[in-house]
Amino acid sequence: MATLSKPIPYQEIRTDLWRPLSGASSRYLVVLVVLSAITLWGLCAWAYQLHKGIGVAGIRRPVFWGFYLVDFVFWIGISHAGTLISAILRLTDANWRKPVTRAAEAITVFALMIGGMFPIIHLGRAWLFFWLFPYPNSRLLWPNFRSPLLWDVTAISTYLTGSTIYLFLPLIPDIAQLAQHATGWRRRMYRTLSLGWTGSDRQWHALERAMKLMAAIILAVAVSVHTVVSWDFSMSIAPMWHSSIFGPYFVVGAIFSGIAALLIVMSIIRKAMHLEQYLTPHHFNNLAKLLLLMSLLWLYFTVAENLTAWYGNEPKEMNVFGSRIRGHFAPYFWLMVFCNFVVPFVLLGIRRLRSIFTATIASVTVLIGMWLERFLIIIPTLSFGRLPAAWGGYAPTWVEISITIATFAAMGVLYLLFSKLFPIVAVWEFEPHQGPEA
Amino acid sequence: MFLAGDFPNKEAASRAILNLKSEGFNAAELAVFSDEPIEFPRDVLDRPSGMSFAVVTGAITLCLLTIGFVYFTQHNYPIVTGGMPIFSFWATGVVFFELTMLGAIVTTFFWFLRESGLLRRRRAEPAPEVEPGMISLRVDCPANRTDAVRSSLLSAGGGNIRTLEQRR
Repeated sequence: MATLSKPIPYQEIRTDLWRPLSGASSRYLVVLVVLSAITLWGLCAWAYQLHKGIGVAGIRRPVFWGFYLVDFVFWIGISHAGTLISAILRLTDANWRKPVTRAAEAITVFALMIGGMFPIIHLGRAWLFFWLFPYPNSRLLWPNFRSPLLWDVTAISTYLTGSTIYLFLPLIPDIAQLAQHATGWRRRMYRTLSLGWTGSDRQWHALERAMKLMAAIILAVAVSVHTVVSWDFSMSIAPMWHSSIFGPYFVVGAIFSGIAALLIVMSIIRKAMHLEQYLTPHHFNNLAKLLLLMSLLWLYFTVAENLTAWYGNEPKEMNVFGSRIRGHFAPYFWLMVFCNFVVPFVLLGIRRLRSIFTATIASVTVLIGMWLERFLIIIPTLSFGRLPAAWGGYAPTWVEISITIATFAAMGVLYLLFSKLFPIVAVWEFEPHQGPEA
Repeated sequence: MFLAGDFPNKEAASRAILNLKSEGFNAAELAVFSDEPIEFPRDVLDRPSGMSFAVVTGAITLCLLTIGFVYFTQHNYPIVTGGMPIFSFWATGVVFFELTMLGAIVTTFFWFLRESGLLRRRRAEPAPEVEPGMISLRVDCPANRTDAVRSSLLSAGGGNIRTLEQRR
C-alpha cells in the first residue's frame, strides 16, 4: 500500500473536508430514508414489547439473557473503536491518526448510545429504569451499589460523558471556523457550539492539555467499562463464565470489533465523501495491521479460555464446552473462528492480498464473528446450566431480531446526520501548507 | 487599546514576542491567534497551567464524596442486620473507580473552559481575523506606545498592522 506524499494547500483541505456538509445527494437521502425506516420499525417492535410485555421476546427459563444482552455487549465493544484507538494514538503521538480519530470518536458515542439502551429494553418495564438512580424508594431502601447492574450504570454513564466530551473538544476549533462561513440555522448552531472560540494561544494550549488528559483518562475508563461488562458474567458461578481472564478477554474482543467497525466506516466515508486524499491506503494499511494483531490476540484468549475448560474436565463446564465445540452451537462456534481468525489471517496476513477492499471484507467478517462470540458466551451457558433438569433452548422472536437489525440502521442514521453537520476529519489537525501525511 | 499584526510563520512571531517582552510587555498583554496550535520554544510565550492539579483534585473529591455517599446509603437501610456489615468496599470499588474518573472528566472539561477563557464570553478583548496559515499577534498596549509596538512588529517581519476595535 502506497502513501500520499503530495502536500495539499490548507485552503484545499478545508474545501475538501467541508464539501460533504453542504447539500445532500439523492443517494444520501435514499440511504437516510431507508435506514430511518428500519430504525422506525425497530422502535415499533420495542413499542409492541412495551405494550404486550417482555413475553413477546424469546427469553424464557432458563435462558433469561438473549439477543438484548448479546447486542448490549456487542455495541459496548464497538464503542471501544474511538476512545481506545484515538486515545492510544494521541498519547503516542502517532501522526497518521489525524484523519482517523474523529470518525472513531463518533463511533464510540453512537455505539454507546445504542448499547446503553439494551439494558433498558431488556428490563421489560423500561419506564421503571429510574429505579436505578441513587435515591431511596418508598420503603426507604437505596439501590444496591454492590450489584453489577449498578456498576454498569455508573461505568456506561461515565464512559458516555467522557467520550462525548472527548469528541466535542477537538470539534470546537472546526465548529468556530464553520460558524464564520455558515448561514442561517447552521450559523446559529455553530456559534453556540463553538463557545466563543477565537483561536488564541491560550485556547489552543488549554485544548491540547485537555485532550492529553482526556486521552489518558478515557483510556482507563474504556478498559474499565468492558471489564465491568465482562464481570456481569464472571462474577456469577456459572459454567464457562466464572473465569478470571474474562476482563482482558472482553477488552481484547472490544478493541478487535472496534477497529473492524472503524475500518468499515472509513471505507464507506472515503468512497461516499470522496476523501481519497485524506483517508489513504496508508491509514487502512496501519489499521489492517492492528486488526490482524487483535485477531491473533483474540485467538490466544479464545484458546486459553477453552483449553483450560477442556483440560479441567469439570462436568458442568464440559456440558457447555461440548455444546459449543461439537454440539448444538458448534456451527456458530466454527463460523466465529472462521470469521475472526481465518479470514483476517489470510486477507491481512498475506501482504499481497492486503488492500482497502480486503481490509473492509475482513472487518465485516470480524463484526459477524464478534457478534457470534457474544452470542456463544451468553446463550450456551444459560442453556446448559448446572442442573440438567433445567436445561432449555432459546429462539429469538421477530421483536428481538427487528430491534437488533434496527440498531445497525440507527448507527447508520446517526452517522449520516453527524457527517452532514460536522467535518468527519478534523480540519485544524492538518498543518497549513502541508499535506495530511506531514 | 489593541494592536495586531500578521506573521507568515512562528519564527517571525517569536521574534516579535521577544522584542515586545524586552520592551516591557508581559505575556498577559500578548495573545497569538491562528487556525492551528502553535508550539513556541520555551520562554517565548509560556502559559502556566494548573489543569493537571485541578483534575487530580476533582477526581479525588468526587471519589471521597462517592465513598461517603455509598457508605451513608448502605447504613441508612431501615433493616435489622443482626450486626452484620452491609458496606463492602470491594464490591463497591467499581462504583468508586468510575465516579473518580467522572470527577476527572468533568473537571478537565470545566478547567479547559476556564483556562481557555471560553467562560468569559462577554469580555471586551477583540480577536483579529486570521487568514488561513497566518499567525496574528495581538498586543494590549497603552495609546502612547502604539508607535513603538508597531515598529517592533514590523521589524520582526510582521505585516497588516492594525488597530482592533474593543468589543462591547
